[in-house]
Amino acid sequence: MTIRARLTIWYAGILFVSVLLITGLSYHEFLRERSMERVSHGEIDENDTPEDVIQISIFCGIPAAIIALAGGWWLMRKAMTPVAALTEAASRVNESNLNKQLPRTGNGDELDRLTEVFNAMTSRLDTSFNRIREFTLHASHELKTPLTVMHGELETALRDSNLSASSREGLLSQLDEVQRLTKIVDGLSLLTKADAGQIVLKREPVRLDELARDCMDDAQILAGPRQVRVELGRCDEVKLAGDRHRLRQLLLNLTDNAIKYNQPNGTLKLELSRLDKFAELKVSNTGPGIPAEITGRVFERFFRGDASHGNTVDGCGLGLSIAQWIVTAHEGSINITSEPGKWTTVTVRLPLA
Amino acid sequence: MLMRVLVVEDEKKTASFIRKALQAESFAVDVSHDGSEALVLASSTPFDAIVLDIMLPGRDGLSVLKQLRDQQNRTPVLLLSARGQVDERVEGLNAGADDYLPKPFALAELIARVRSLGRRAGEPKSVTLRVGDLALDTVTRQAQRGGKFFELTTREYRLLEFLMRTPGRICGRMAILEKVWDYDFDPGTNLVDVYIKRLREKIDDGFELKLLHTVRGVGYVMKE
Repeated sequence: MTIRARLTIWYAGILFVSVLLITGLSYHEFLRERSMERVSHGEIDENDTPEDVIQISIFCGIPAAIIALAGGWWLMRKAMTPVAALTEAASRVNESNLNKQLPRTGNGDELDRLTEVFNAMTSRLDTSFNRIREFTLHASHELKTPLTVMHGELETALRDSNLSASSREGLLSQLDEVQRLTKIVDGLSLLTKADAGQIVLKREPVRLDELARDCMDDAQILAGPRQVRVELGRCDEVKLAGDRHRLRQLLLNLTDNAIKYNQPNGTLKLELSRLDKFAELKVSNTGPGIPAEITGRVFERFFRGDASHGNTVDGCGLGLSIAQWIVTAHEGSINITSEPGKWTTVTVRLPLA
Repeated sequence: MLMRVLVVEDEKKTASFIRKALQAESFAVDVSHDGSEALVLASSTPFDAIVLDIMLPGRDGLSVLKQLRDQQNRTPVLLLSARGQVDERVEGLNAGADDYLPKPFALAELIARVRSLGRRAGEPKSVTLRVGDLALDTVTRQAQRGGKFFELTTREYRLLEFLMRTPGRICGRMAILEKVWDYDFDPGTNLVDVYIKRLREKIDDGFELKLLHTVRGVGYVMKE
């Protein structure tokens, strides 16, 4: 029950009790006056009965009560409007607009004070969000120089033709790890910049179906060694304003994932449909599937559903997070559904024009 | 021909291994650790190429580059940057850079790019590219080896052409992604490796002499 309804009920109750009280008192007063009149005049106006009091009370009391109730309802609404506005404004606060402050009335009342406290809280949150963001940004930046040095030193060491086979193997394995780290750092720095709004999409008219067909050629090749069958289902002509490079990255990310997490002799299917207001891209695979309780988490950074399974798949653990960022940056939506043992499907919806 | 290269990099270790690697490839190398000094050096000495880091104390790489171009200095410049985002790459190329390499990079990739900068001016492009007994006709887009013709998909052709244009030189994975796929991001897949494998099946399988070699951790090279 809303505060407004609760207050109105209380108010109506109090009103009802007061009306009863007033009626009772006037009735009592009336009887007393009549007995006094009888003493002084010895006669009684027979038309003047106690029922009149009740009648007067009803005829005047009910309209008065209705006016009072309506007034009360209106008063409550007036009192509650700023609260509703505050709730509405607060519900629009999310991690991307923490720096926006709720408007204050400045009249110093309780609600104004509440807004003030709320604003102070969001600005503290904003500060700590920014600190985390800056930290990741600096960290990924600072890691690049030592990685460059390590890569260079390893390559230089490998140029030595007198190396024994085992030291060469050791150095090569280190080089592989340096490259893996590099990929992680790259992905992380991309996402942190995206979080900070430092990456601007270069929008241009893009034929998504052409990009999809193009990507299928690559998918075909990538799927070869894993014996995964690649199918292009429906592929409608789709024109939209997007960042060509990012959309290619999105398609490749999703198909690559669908191949990596597939099983041998599995199938990868890509469909592109042009719907009323958006383009719908579906990338499905016949992998082992994702348990329902973690489907919401696969877009999290470094999230690996099953640690034992995750280790067999190479990748930096940021692919789907990057895909999600690309879709969000295009004002689209992305989600994943999975029926273990059947299809696992990533559905992307991108607004048309 | 001896190429003279100026390396501008404030990080001493990085500068040192770039210098060593370029010297090992018989380039003459000058190193500078700050922007203003680099500008003086570049203006007074004719270099064949400049490797320029963007983040420098004093005067940053982009401003050095702009200044050089304002002075009508056309020396080819390879920009290095730890930030490595598309915007910066575009900004660098607009400022007059000839190539751009994000950190961390593979040394072999850097060398290949510096070499191609020096060559960029002139050098006639032959219609038929040859490595060993493999020939690629860039007009008909046909490849043949030992009298046998190969069918190549567009992507395979572009990959083979790119590799064959610089025989004996390592082509880095990033350079391949850029030139063949037009990706300016690392897609985090083994796309290149898988394509190379397919290409190898076509041009190397069944031949005694292998032409397409892997340089682990760096890229690929075509050589006899």
